[in-house]
Amino acid sequence: MYDIVDALLNRTFGLGWPGWSVALIGHLFVASLLFVVAPFQMLFFTYYERRAIARMQDRVGPNRVGPEGIWQPLADGVKLFTKEDIVPDVADKWVHLIAPCVVVAPTMFMFAVLPWGPGMVPVNLSVGLLFFFAIASVTTVGLMMAGWASNNKFALLGAMRAVAQMVSYEIPAVLSLLAIVMLTGTLSVVELIAYQGGLFIASADMPGLPDLGLGWIVFTPVGLLAFLVFFVAALAEGERTPFDIPEADSEIVAGYMTEYSGMKFGLFYLAQYLLNFLLCAMAAVVFFGGWQGPGVGWLYAQAISPANPDGSGVFNVLAGVLGVFYMLAKTYGLFFVMIWVRGSFPRLRVDQLMDFGWKFLIPLTLVNVLSAALWVALTRWGPEQGITFTAGWSPLLRWGAAFVATGAVNIGAYLALGRVYATAQAGRGRVDVDELELVTTTR
Amino acid sequence: MTMQIQRGKVVTVERGARGQRVPGAGLLASMAVVWKHWQGSFRKNDSFEKIHGTFTMEYPEERPRLPEAFRNMPILLYDEASGHELCTSCFQCQRICPPQVIHMSQAKDPVTGKALPALTEFVIEYDACMSCGLCAEICPFDAIKMDHAFELATSDHAGLTLHREQLNRPISYYEGIAPTMWAEVKDSAFKKLQGNIKRRPDVIGMAPNLAEKIAARRRELPPAEVVPAPSVSVAPPEAAKDDWSAKDVTGVWSAKDAKPGEGRESSAAAEAPPVAGAPAAPLDDKAARLAAIKAKNAAKKAAEAQGE
Repeated sequence: MYDIVDALLNRTFGLGWPGWSVALIGHLFVASLLFVVAPFQMLFFTYYERRAIARMQDRVGPNRVGPEGIWQPLADGVKLFTKEDIVPDVADKWVHLIAPCVVVAPTMFMFAVLPWGPGMVPVNLSVGLLFFFAIASVTTVGLMMAGWASNNKFALLGAMRAVAQMVSYEIPAVLSLLAIVMLTGTLSVVELIAYQGGLFIASADMPGLPDLGLGWIVFTPVGLLAFLVFFVAALAEGERTPFDIPEADSEIVAGYMTEYSGMKFGLFYLAQYLLNFLLCAMAAVVFFGGWQGPGVGWLYAQAISPANPDGSGVFNVLAGVLGVFYMLAKTYGLFFVMIWVRGSFPRLRVDQLMDFGWKFLIPLTLVNVLSAALWVALTRWGPEQGITFTAGWSPLLRWGAAFVATGAVNIGAYLALGRVYATAQAGRGRVDVDELELVTTTR
Repeated sequence: MTMQIQRGKVVTVERGARGQRVPGAGLLASMAVVWKHWQGSFRKNDSFEKIHGTFTMEYPEERPRLPEAFRNMPILLYDEASGHELCTSCFQCQRICPPQVIHMSQAKDPVTGKALPALTEFVIEYDACMSCGLCAEICPFDAIKMDHAFELATSDHAGLTLHREQLNRPISYYEGIAPTMWAEVKDSAFKKLQGNIKRRPDVIGMAPNLAEKIAARRRELPPAEVVPAPSVSVAPPEAAKDDWSAKDVTGVWSAKDAKPGEGRESSAAAEAPPVAGAPAAPLDDKAARLAAIKAKNAAKKAAEAQGE
């Protein structure tokens, strides 16, 4: 953004403005763009979800308000704005007021490190991935505030369950990303995407591949397992069925959101959909290459960029459009899978939820970290680190060996852990005859 | 596996060797089922036998397919060919209506004052009608039937009290909505209607909205309807009228039905001056009736005078 603004102001228009003002203008522009884009994304997501889930349930979904119902989210927004804002008398007024803000604001922060296209990241942090998940955790404070301030026992319980869920599923999410970080050696989101150029395998492992933008990490065993675990953890993080205990539309009223009405509820709703969008987007970035795809790399090579200040602005636009298209296609595709999962499964009980996170996903991610180490050792390490048997192997052979080794470890671990978990759960489900007799005997 | 505990039986259904299969395969199978539903939902489902396809009925563009026997709100039938309503105002539907929302009044012969098999007014309070269909079931003349109209919501409460003109529908309408049910009763309904038409003088009993038909019928009728002599009030002996036990009932009835000029066996008849006043005042039935009453009173006085 700095380069584009700089090129625009200082070269096209010839104004010699200092660097800090160019940066400021760039940041202000991007921030306002994000504040417009984010709610529109959320509105589109509510519409998309309602139509898709309706189709899965043999019905049509909202199609009355505007052609095919596209104004439905606007109608919902108007409805939420015009509702009476009810605050319980005994609620803690200030905390009740601020809680939705504390939930939405960090979610907006997360947009800062999300790259939409080549060179289109609001802030290019070298620790972008860490920032993303660290900020996401702050929303749990807002949830707790909402539950406590409502002065409602059930809202408080709902809030505590929501916090427990979010906190315990951040661990498998972050651990699965840890494996990816080991693979690529960087925490920066932008570099992560750059790593995924090439052809079906990361080009950083094997230089000389044509840049079709298909070197996605998900095509490796480590990446695949990490993606599956991350996706499930993202479902739980974003409070989507089957992990939507805090919200549980058909059971408890609304958990921690019970005492909220009108636009405050709308803000919680916004935060939830934004978080889901961001998690889908981050999954697309880390595992599916983000804006990488056939053609983007070639277009961007000829555009204005830090590596190429004399490029042509037209290519920026073209590369940007194509990159955003790929990015959104992947994100919306992943969100469709989230909707699909919502349409297929019943809700997990809170104890089943916690068991699943701590006793299945975390061991799986720890095994994945081991696999990632194996991958790095086989593809990158050499005699200096003590691996001598791969000396003299071609990169393709090293890659193949790593693929097979990590594939075996991951599949074996998945099956073994899966069986252990399944038997443990099955053991909990059945009640003994004696226990049943004890429980049901009347004196 | 069934186990018996104190409270009863507990049946456990074994779902097969779950532990042997790949963990997560069941989840993917469920997702496959939902995918098929998603794919299939882009077509409309036309039969409840099938499970794929959208069941949504896009109302109001698409109307529900109502069965013939669907009943919502009663209507009155009239025959377009003759213009006559089928209803004879027999009061059976009014009697049987549970919430008592049907009200009607019967037409009277303008000359004789006798009840005619026709309506003057018919009112149904749609807001209280519960569409039970008992009125349609009991009607001996198949005049009142159940309609299929369900889009009746309105903010005009008074407008829900419907009168005869609003309740009238041609037979073809009912035939259109319930052909099989109409076919079953068609013959007997028409037969009864012909009988009733014969008993209805001039345009009484014709549907009020068929103005042209009514005008045409009026033109058909003879210009001056000779008002029949009020023989009814004169012929039977006045004493007999009051004291049924002592008199010959059959004689009274036959005298009643006798044409004017006949059956004046009773003594009172001889006394009473023949009511020549009637032909003297043509087309003036009110005057004729007045004359008849006067004659009656005169005859009564004469009889009393004689009896003393």
